[in-house]
Amino acid sequence: MRWSLLLLLVSSLLLPPLLLADTKGWQLFQQSQDAVRNHNFDVSYVVFKGEQVTSFRWLHGVHQEQQLEQLVPMDVDGIDILRKGKVVYYLTPERPVLITLSSYIKELPSLLYQPVADLKQLYDPVSGSVSQMGGRSAQLLRLTAFHPGRLSYWLWLDVETGFPLRIDTVAEGHQLLERWQVTHMLLSPQLPEALKALLDLPLPQPDKQHLQPVATPPQASNIELAWLPSGFKQVEDPLVVPSLGVPLLHYWLLSDGLHQVSVFVQKPNRQPAQAYRDGATTIYVHSTEQFDVTVIGPVTLEIARQIAAAVRYD
Amino acid sequence: MSSKQQHGSVAEQVDQTHSTEPTVQSSQEWVSAAADGEAISEQQLHQLCDNASLQQHYERYHLIGAALRNELAPKLPADFSASFAARLQQEPVHQLVVHRSFFHRIQQGMRQAANSEWLKPTAQTAIAASVALMAVLGVQYVQQPYEQELMSPLPVLHTQPVSGFATPVSLSQTTVDDRLEQHAHQAMLEQQRRLQDLLNAHHQQVRVLEQSALLNEQAPVVTEPEPDGNY
Repeated sequence: MRWSLLLLLVSSLLLPPLLLADTKGWQLFQQSQDAVRNHNFDVSYVVFKGEQVTSFRWLHGVHQEQQLEQLVPMDVDGIDILRKGKVVYYLTPERPVLITLSSYIKELPSLLYQPVADLKQLYDPVSGSVSQMGGRSAQLLRLTAFHPGRLSYWLWLDVETGFPLRIDTVAEGHQLLERWQVTHMLLSPQLPEALKALLDLPLPQPDKQHLQPVATPPQASNIELAWLPSGFKQVEDPLVVPSLGVPLLHYWLLSDGLHQVSVFVQKPNRQPAQAYRDGATTIYVHSTEQFDVTVIGPVTLEIARQIAAAVRYD
Repeated sequence: MSSKQQHGSVAEQVDQTHSTEPTVQSSQEWVSAAADGEAISEQQLHQLCDNASLQQHYERYHLIGAALRNELAPKLPADFSASFAARLQQEPVHQLVVHRSFFHRIQQGMRQAANSEWLKPTAQTAIAASVALMAVLGVQYVQQPYEQELMSPLPVLHTQPVSGFATPVSLSQTTVDDRLEQHAHQAMLEQQRRLQDLLNAHHQQVRVLEQSALLNEQAPVVTEPEPDGNY
């Protein structure tokens, strides 16, 4: 009785501060999500993937409660990605534009656009120290995955505006996989000049008929996926799989809301197991006598191996 | 001929043509030496500072030395600006060509899109490949030690000569090892291309992930703002 009372007392003393810290962490995070949705800004950032560095210019504004956005890869000539509301346009030189429906440009850090309620199921927020970053005060916020196989995120948020200044994607053991870092930031009360011209552009409206899937991935009945990583579900009816050199036998798209993992099953190529990494994206190839399995997505290598091993042939 | 000797001989000519005063004549040697950067006494320094004629000699020796060493800066003629203006007038007029602005280009792209069946698989593949190119270039081997065994599956090359014959050293001859190496390289390139295709397909899936949900959410699907301003 005495012990249970003591336990109750200790827990009543410890729990409120922990809950408060948790709430504060999510508040900080919410602030960063609000910043990228509601502010008018002209930002440049770089993405570090191993030894590779790519740079982007990112413009965003809100006009009559509608978001306008433009993302320009600086290292590749002629590619522009535009978003007006929920319609995203991919423009490449000498090609017809690709139009999709999406609430954000998928080339931006998806973490910044996921509902906080969903993220609460996956991450524990811990706020850290304040440091100087490019002349601005940056608050560190660590989103540590509950499950060790899931990638974690360290964010540095501008103290004044909440705008994300840096996002590190880390694997277990604080192994840095990918870094997203703002190099220039200009917030303004008005829509950035460069975006004003977008208002007058006659952007084509997406036609519902055209947005319907034009191809569905093959689903071989004798191949099954017997295991899913914690928190992941199979996406029902994934849309279009572009034509591939080696025909597909089966395809699954897995998602935990934040990360997406593709599982491709193809005819056997008799290649030994191979693993590659593109920043936070793992590419794992596993070959059996019946088929090759390629797992691609932002998961640890161990999880990718387990997914590949779970593809069974009846 | 050293610079000092040059100064000496030229100084003699200067003596004959200009001044014959004894004090200046006796000073010429050390003034020439001073112009060559050699040390002079304090008294000579005072003399040089006070005597305008010696200063002229000193300056002249410097000039002669610089001319002999080809160190003279080209002098601009007095009418330089006038002649420059005249030549400028003769130049043909070049006008900068105004390039299509960024938004004109986008507009053009949109027109093409509106007139084409843009969601055909061929177009999608092309766009996916273009956009994903940045990422594909970053594909690299996983380097962690415990994963090394995963990375060693490449065909083992025969590094020992094949028994039975000796291959003479020749720049033009392809050895068995070379052929195996080429084969392995070809296989690796083929595998890289296959993985790039799959990576593009994965990115494409992620891009269209929300499409079905948004299509079913409302009609029309397009750019109408939501009441709360959030998307």
